[in-house]
Amino acid sequence: MLITKTFRSLGSIKIPLILFMILLFVISIQAPKLFSVSGFSNAILVSAPLILATLALTPIVMAGRGAVDLSIGPLISFLNVTLIAWLSGNNITNPIVFCLWAVIAGAGYQIIQALIVTYIRIAPIIVALSGYLILTGVNLMVMSRPGGLSPEWMSSWSGGGEPQIFSPILILVLTALGLWGLFTRTGLYKQLRLVGSDERMAYTSGVRVDFVRIVAYALGGVFAGFAALSYTALVSSGDPTQGATYTLQAVTALVLGGASLSGGRGTATGALLGALNMFLITYLLGAFSFGSLSGYITSLAYGGILAASLLVNVVSNRSSVSRG
Amino acid sequence: MSKIRTISLKNISKSFGETRALSNCSFEAYAGEVHAVVGENGCGKSTLAKIISGVLLPDSGEIEILGGVNTTPLDARRLGVATIFQEVLVADEANVLDNLFVGSEGFFSVGKSESEKVREASELLTRCIGHDIDLFADVGSLPLNIKQWVVIARAILRRPKVVILDESSAALDLDATNRLHGEIDRLRNEGCTVLIVTHRIAELVRIADRATILRDGAPVGVLEKSEITEAKLLELMTPSDRSVMAQPNVDIKDNKSNLLDSIIEGKSIQLTEGSHSFDFELKPGTIVGLAGLDGHGQDLFARTLAGLYRQNSGTITFRKESGEFIDIDGLERASDLHISWVSGDRKKEGIFPQRSIFDNFAFGIYRRNLGWFGKINKRYAQKAFAQEVKRLKIKTGNTANKITSLSGGNQQKVLISRAFADQPKVIVLNDPARGVDLNTKRDLYKELRNFTESGGAVVYLSSEIEEFLGFADRVDVFYQNAIFRSLDYQSVSEESMLAAMFGQPLGSHVEIV
Repeated sequence: MLITKTFRSLGSIKIPLILFMILLFVISIQAPKLFSVSGFSNAILVSAPLILATLALTPIVMAGRGAVDLSIGPLISFLNVTLIAWLSGNNITNPIVFCLWAVIAGAGYQIIQALIVTYIRIAPIIVALSGYLILTGVNLMVMSRPGGLSPEWMSSWSGGGEPQIFSPILILVLTALGLWGLFTRTGLYKQLRLVGSDERMAYTSGVRVDFVRIVAYALGGVFAGFAALSYTALVSSGDPTQGATYTLQAVTALVLGGASLSGGRGTATGALLGALNMFLITYLLGAFSFGSLSGYITSLAYGGILAASLLVNVVSNRSSVSRG
Repeated sequence: MSKIRTISLKNISKSFGETRALSNCSFEAYAGEVHAVVGENGCGKSTLAKIISGVLLPDSGEIEILGGVNTTPLDARRLGVATIFQEVLVADEANVLDNLFVGSEGFFSVGKSESEKVREASELLTRCIGHDIDLFADVGSLPLNIKQWVVIARAILRRPKVVILDESSAALDLDATNRLHGEIDRLRNEGCTVLIVTHRIAELVRIADRATILRDGAPVGVLEKSEITEAKLLELMTPSDRSVMAQPNVDIKDNKSNLLDSIIEGKSIQLTEGSHSFDFELKPGTIVGLAGLDGHGQDLFARTLAGLYRQNSGTITFRKESGEFIDIDGLERASDLHISWVSGDRKKEGIFPQRSIFDNFAFGIYRRNLGWFGKINKRYAQKAFAQEVKRLKIKTGNTANKITSLSGGNQQKVLISRAFADQPKVIVLNDPARGVDLNTKRDLYKELRNFTESGGAVVYLSSEIEEFLGFADRVDVFYQNAIFRSLDYQSVSEESMLAAMFGQPLGSHVEIV
């Protein structure tokens, strides 16, 4: 009784959670190296950008109107190349300036998107698609090919020395999750869910819909900044070409984490689990040797598991409806 | 009694494009009164409600509400206005509690403590619904009538000074409507102004203290409690050049159709597992009404006749002219047999909102009149459409406009014309008059009567029992998913129908509260 009740209260994250458990279990047999200090610290380093990118999509998708921010990948890429080319390239390496630039530029970009969506009333997906194309071009103008070097303090993040679990990257992820946790305790969060679920209802009930949407986008932008910092630490340089990959992976992780693309539903835990599952799938497949095929197999696995988890979701929802 | 004025509108005008919804409309309401705003469809009453709740801004005129001016729903809310809109506006993804207290939170605080919210909400909802509901369940999983209560409770929980109910009892059955009236009384006694915008004349006669009647966007009269009668309201609502007719009042002759063979026959029909079984009979030239409290199976049965639902057991057959009996076993069969379905839920089961008025009409009929190689015979459809428009007096404007450019009543007329144009033998109507004005209703009754006189048969489901009076040849009243009692036209009355709806034995009496 208690178990079924807890299980039901998990709601949208129960399927990603089950998948997470299964993956951990299989990995503990097939590739137990993950459960060591170096395996762990590496896992954090590699999965952090995706976790944060997925988290950046969460408030935006929650705001409704089918707002999936396709430009998230190129945005992270933009922040990454500007950090390297504009700041590091000009010998501006102060950590505070670095972090502020990533966070403020990320939030600024998303606020512009939100203003266009709100006041010019263009469908969010179109705005995001335009942003994707524009930023892809801009990134190549800032930096025509991968290159540059991250400041010294940052390269030490990516485990230059001893592998450690409590690396700055982990702290970055925890800070982001903490920020989200604080956000969920505000009235704004409740309003965001209601706006995403039924905008007209929220408006007529006296919720400042436009303001809520802008804040949601800005928060997404802040997380995009975090994602860019962790990504820069991971590659230790600037790379204008990874945008598309991150967009696709983050959207996959978002859905895998149980968020509703039609708005109103989304959790940080879901985003975290979705991104971690993606990482674990890659990790697990890496333990088998598919040789040159591994890239295809990974995409295949992402797609297959995504479809399967949506299917399970549909089936389990149907059975709970017929019960009720 | 000294009256405190809560709402004062002066010379308000509002247009939507060419349409003038309100012209120089003035309106006043006072604390502690239930004030009804009545009028035909398109008379501007919903627009008036939306202006008072801050959703729409007037083009000109002065507003004063509770000593302030409102330009947004947020302003209105702060002034103490709570509106229950015609549509059931809930966030399906959020739980009941969040839906109830939407907008009460600040940006960084959550307002009241959760335990306080739970206590207030469960007390009110238990009183309204009659039993406990799970406040942490997602609203999306609840049935429509509970959602409607969530919306109503949301307004009451705000402790408003002005409450606007815009056709809010539409999704409630009779019993629930009575509980709603209880809540309205309570609000009035607390000094609240309750505005009811409604079509249900019988309802407002019962509960309104005052009534403002609108016609063509302007008030044509304000009635005090003692003056509110059905006759008076109708007289004011209807333009003087049209005759007044409250109820269909079509002459029902004890016609010869009794001697005819029935066109639809049902034997030992069991709608759902475990429900009682019943027989059904429909003769050509008759109108059979289906009545019942919400969720007692009349809706399922109407669907069954139209091939949209399959009964659990038993047979329902259609007698073809050849004398052959055919089982109605699906929508396609029903359509082949010329059984037409008209739903009152226009948005969900009627219109294609993105298509033109003409397309919406023609969808139903082009299939039977295809030209060479399956080419759509447009000329045929146009001819048929022109005929129907004239017959049903549909106000269309340019027929290439989207169907949503029409008022609800005219949309419904287009849907009914679609059914007629298909040359049906039987028409099944599911609450077609919901949200439709009086004249449209009257035209509809007349057309249906003409249709039966030329040999057609009609099954008419309605949630407003007044509709059956003087209209239906027989009313089958449903109770617990089966026909509980069939009333012939001589024994149809509000009392007899109500008694049957509540499953009372013959001869007992139900108080209309």
